[in-house]
Amino acid sequence: MHIDEIIHIATQAGKIMLENGGETYRVEQTISMICKSYGISHTESFVTPTGIMVSITNSENKTISLVRRINSRTVNLRKVSMINNLSREIATSPLSLSDIKKQIDFINNLPTYSHMTTTFFSACSAGFFTLLFGGNYKDFFVAFIIGALINIISEALDKFEVNSFLKNMLGGSLAATIALIAASLGLVGNMDTIIIGSIMLLVPGIAITNAIRDTIAGDLVSGMSRSIEALFIAIAIAAGTSIVFKIWALLFGGGLI
Amino acid sequence: MILNSFFAFLSSIGFGIIFNIRGKNLIIASLGGGLGWLTYLLVLKLQPSLVFSLFIASMVVSIYSEIMARVFKNPVTIFIICAIIPLVPGGGMYFATLEAVRGNFDAALSKSVMTLFSAGAIAIGIVFVSSISTIFKKIKK
Repeated sequence: MHIDEIIHIATQAGKIMLENGGETYRVEQTISMICKSYGISHTESFVTPTGIMVSITNSENKTISLVRRINSRTVNLRKVSMINNLSREIATSPLSLSDIKKQIDFINNLPTYSHMTTTFFSACSAGFFTLLFGGNYKDFFVAFIIGALINIISEALDKFEVNSFLKNMLGGSLAATIALIAASLGLVGNMDTIIIGSIMLLVPGIAITNAIRDTIAGDLVSGMSRSIEALFIAIAIAAGTSIVFKIWALLFGGGLI
Repeated sequence: MILNSFFAFLSSIGFGIIFNIRGKNLIIASLGGGLGWLTYLLVLKLQPSLVFSLFIASMVVSIYSEIMARVFKNPVTIFIICAIIPLVPGGGMYFATLEAVRGNFDAALSKSVMTLFSAGAIAIGIVFVSSISTIFKKIKK
């Protein structure tokens, strides 16, 4: 058996899943399932948000292992769902090794939504969150602009591989700055709802959800590290907004805040 | 209230697009967001506790996502992440920061504790449902 090829395929599938927002136990399960459907008798994997370690033993008692480091973490739930379904499909009807390699490459290179689309929809999200928290139609438009700008800036910062702390801090301060300017020009009904609506785009919803799901599944290391990630995102947003508030109060007095 | 839930639905669609969910999964996940917010508002009308309302709402969202994941054969996460977003206590976090900047540390502290409790309530709601769903899975086998 091509034990070497199998471990690379399984780990590659797990890596794609982990990089795109899959939970830890699901990644481990996928790796085991792929190995099992190619007749590997024994698979152990240890997955954390920053790396994958896999060790497999075949029927001739030959053991090999592989370590993969995870550097980038984004969210693309479509890839997670497709790899998940692929691993379940091959459990019932195994494909040849070259076919599954092609399938995995195909999933990995699927196009995402264009920048225009994500910008427009994050603007919509920010706007509707503002309405949800009790803003009026004027607030909607200000939040709409902030939402678009946050998306454009974070995509631009991604090109320079800026860490998420600075990205969230800049996002928070951008929301606060524009809301303050709009409020001082008298364009808005309620400044608070605009800022809350816009920072909902940055709030660590995924990190919180996955931290909880990992912890219940018994992956304590991953659960802890994802909780810390969520906490730091929250701190970054709070720092960004509060710095802008403080500077604004020093420059123009605290009339608005 | 219905209009508000519709806004929650629309914001969830936006998030679904950012997280690259496609096709009918996008609509299903976003409906979960609207459903969660509707539950939250309904429970908040019946009794005054914010934390309890969030708990019930996150439970409803989790049950909905577990069912949809079984029906449409997709991972639970892709529904739950999108649907839980409107409930995340971004407002509490903002007001805590605002009070801290103003120098009202008592108010800032009580707001932060409130935010922490809200996040905790959402967490417990999800834990509760997914733990029970594993029992169901065992019974089925």
